[in-house]
Amino acid sequence: MSGLSLHKKFEENSALLIFGILAVSAIGGLVQLVPILNQDSLDTASENSQLYNALELTGRDIYIREGCSTCHSQQVRPLIAEVERYGPYSRADEFVYDRPFLWGSKRTGPDLHRVGGKFSDAWHRLHLIDPRAVVAESIMPAYPWLARRPASATGNIAAKLTALRRLGHPYTDEDIAGAEQALEGQLEIDALIAYLQSLGTAQDYSGG
Amino acid sequence: MMADAKNFYNNQIVIRLVQFSVIWAVAAIAAGVYISAELLWPQLDFGQFWLSFGRLRPLHTNGIIFGFGVSALMATAFYSVQRTCHVPLFAPRLAWFCCYGWQLLVLTGGLSLLAGFNTSKEYAELEWPFDIVIAIIWVCFGIVFFGTIARRKIKAIYISNWFYGALIIVIAMLHIVNSLAIPVTLGKSYSLYAGAQDAVVQWWYGHNAVGFLLTGGFLGMMYYFLPKHAGRPIWSYRLSIVAFWAFTYSYIWAGPHHLHYNSIPEWVQSLGMVMSVVLLAPSWATMINGVMTVSTAWEKLRSDPALKFIVLSLAFYGLATFEGPMMSIRSVNVVSHFTDWTIGHVHSGALGWNAMITYGTFYFMVPRLVGRELYSTPLANLHFWLALAGTMLYIMAMWAAGVSQGLLWLSVDQIGELSFSFKDIMASMAPYYALRLVAGLIFLLGTLLMAYNLFMTLKGQQPVRSAPPLMQPAHGVG
Amino acid sequence: MRRLRIAVTADEAIAMSKEFYSKLLLESVYQPLVSFEQLSKANPSVLGVFFRYSLWLMVLPPAFALIGAANFGWRLGAPDPLLISADALLLVSIGYFLALIFGLFSTALISRWMASTYGANTSLGRHMALITVVGQPLAVASVVHLFPDVFVNVLVLIPTMIWSMYLLYKGIPIALETPPERGMLMASSLVGWLLVAAVSLLGMSMSLWTLGIGPLLGV
Repeated sequence: MSGLSLHKKFEENSALLIFGILAVSAIGGLVQLVPILNQDSLDTASENSQLYNALELTGRDIYIREGCSTCHSQQVRPLIAEVERYGPYSRADEFVYDRPFLWGSKRTGPDLHRVGGKFSDAWHRLHLIDPRAVVAESIMPAYPWLARRPASATGNIAAKLTALRRLGHPYTDEDIAGAEQALEGQLEIDALIAYLQSLGTAQDYSGG
Repeated sequence: MMADAKNFYNNQIVIRLVQFSVIWAVAAIAAGVYISAELLWPQLDFGQFWLSFGRLRPLHTNGIIFGFGVSALMATAFYSVQRTCHVPLFAPRLAWFCCYGWQLLVLTGGLSLLAGFNTSKEYAELEWPFDIVIAIIWVCFGIVFFGTIARRKIKAIYISNWFYGALIIVIAMLHIVNSLAIPVTLGKSYSLYAGAQDAVVQWWYGHNAVGFLLTGGFLGMMYYFLPKHAGRPIWSYRLSIVAFWAFTYSYIWAGPHHLHYNSIPEWVQSLGMVMSVVLLAPSWATMINGVMTVSTAWEKLRSDPALKFIVLSLAFYGLATFEGPMMSIRSVNVVSHFTDWTIGHVHSGALGWNAMITYGTFYFMVPRLVGRELYSTPLANLHFWLALAGTMLYIMAMWAAGVSQGLLWLSVDQIGELSFSFKDIMASMAPYYALRLVAGLIFLLGTLLMAYNLFMTLKGQQPVRSAPPLMQPAHGVG
Repeated sequence: MRRLRIAVTADEAIAMSKEFYSKLLLESVYQPLVSFEQLSKANPSVLGVFFRYSLWLMVLPPAFALIGAANFGWRLGAPDPLLISADALLLVSIGYFLALIFGLFSTALISRWMASTYGANTSLGRHMALITVVGQPLAVASVVHLFPDVFVNVLVLIPTMIWSMYLLYKGIPIALETPPERGMLMASSLVGWLLVAAVSLLGMSMSLWTLGIGPLLGV
């Protein structure tokens, strides 16, 4: 068989085998990733996109640090039951400022993409410090330390905004200059609540 | 001759990597058991941030994949590449650097996860300094591996080495592309990709890390140790060639099935689904090759508890590689997505396939490396039953949990209103989580028995084998 | 029972004796290994096994499920039970019964197909009887369907299933007269098939639900 004798070349030449594996395994990735990374509608801001302010961004980084996305998704699928349970389904342009994305793969707890505005700040504060005081059945961990640490302890916020500006997020010089100030007097729990309250509120779905 | 052969190959590094792998297995499974208990009793974190579920969970997954999995793959790759090439390891000092460097990485990386340095990208949670170290060690691993192949005395490169080779090459590609980020501080970076694009890149990585590490890498293990164990050449060499290339080509397309009905273009979802179903063919071709190889060599089972694990791992491999494509079908995925069925699916692979084939390989390899009998065969047999019972209990509990979740979340009544509140559905999961905890404990107990058994074997209280173990270069399968 | 062959061997004599099936039914509960020994000495006919043994066990789970669900409705853990109309319930129970029959025959056929690879006995009747003995604990334990709470069912049936798997590993080499090692290989292959069959069933049900057959889903 000629196919098999051709294959003998790969079997007996390690460089050819390395190249073969690289080439064959790269095809699928290229076909999927190149068009996706070049699709403007997936990375262009629209009226549905909302830039996180310094406090919200800090809250988002706390959300990432605590691994909230291991149990909470941020992706309402276009299904009747999900729209009914959580709100309007998620759209790609709502996530253009999400680095990294936090859609999650498991819903041990409910989806959070439309949680913004659904509960009061006071409710969130109580819930984060002692979830079972608010929801008796909850199995969510308590996060008492968030109410003890200042929001500025999560890292240099001005450097974060600068890094994101390099990636194309439209932060102004004033945003960056005032970032430290914005966190002053705020605790980590305040930042996280600000982030949660901002979730899914940008999209204007009053028109249906 | 035998004395020379004993020193011919670099065995010490294999033993050390096996030891580390077993330690990580115990630690990471224990972490898994602990977080499964936290889902029943959330107070178990005692208000300590480093015991919090969200931090322990990445520790569990990274510990299994990078600690247990990669250490086992390095050990078996170093063991088999020397024997299939009839040469000792290339650049042994670099190999030792890989060995210890990797363990240090897993240890410090694990601690960094507990400290909250977490990118939140699944199976790529480690922050950028660790990503760079991973890349460096991985390249060194590649140099040792391909360097050994380049110096080989056998003309043809044996099939197991292709899978290990694909593991090294493809994981390097995935890791580098997915980890691209702009660093802010030592412990924080922002991904180069955002939103939907980040999601597609991440699952291209996440799915294929499973594909080329947990599936492909361990298939390399199977292709060497199964024929070696059975004392037979692989059933169909031609099938293994076809299956290898089909596997390498088609696996990489399947990532988007993790994002069905999510905010990514529909063509990527459909493409991911179709290619996931196609993937069943090469996956099962490999399984059939393994099953047929061992089916003629059954007498070997009599003296060897290790082969049992490998045989059973093929059954679970068959399940997991069937279940995966099925769950990638949109009409199934719409119910199963975000549920515990996904967790069950991962564990039918991780417990049933990865852990079992590795345990079987360790039971085979360690006695041969030290030239002694296994400390206790009955203990290994008991481990076999514990592993089987634990795995079955785990996946069935998660099937039941996942199906209930999917069904109840989507249930609506006659006038179209939701039938159940999320809270009630979540609360109803407790019994399944309790079963899963028991399953995890059973599996952990088995792993502890193995750790003890291998420790005693290495310590050397048992008789020396009457016949010298296989220390000569491999024949037949080489 | 009519036989085409004239000579009746000792094996067949055992198979035909009236006590064979009742003994199988009773003994396999408390001493399954003896049942496997019995099977290894018999070559029962397919129809004999089916009508005198398997069928009666396979009626149990759907019957229990029907009675339980009709009286209490299924509890999936959430507070309100899922009440299903009597017609639908009957349909589901019949479907359950047919699925069990299909499962028995397909597993027996696959088991016999595998038997040649593993040097095991290839009498289809014996394979069917073996699978019935292995599945008997599950059929008996299905009495738990009378209490239609998913968790209680799972709690009873999963350990039973693990026990059944143990019986499969123990039973194949004895009943099908193959060395234990080859029997172990064959049992593992069958476990692979059973797991795939189980997960297919899950997948098919989900697809049907999504298509609108079964419970009402908002998709």
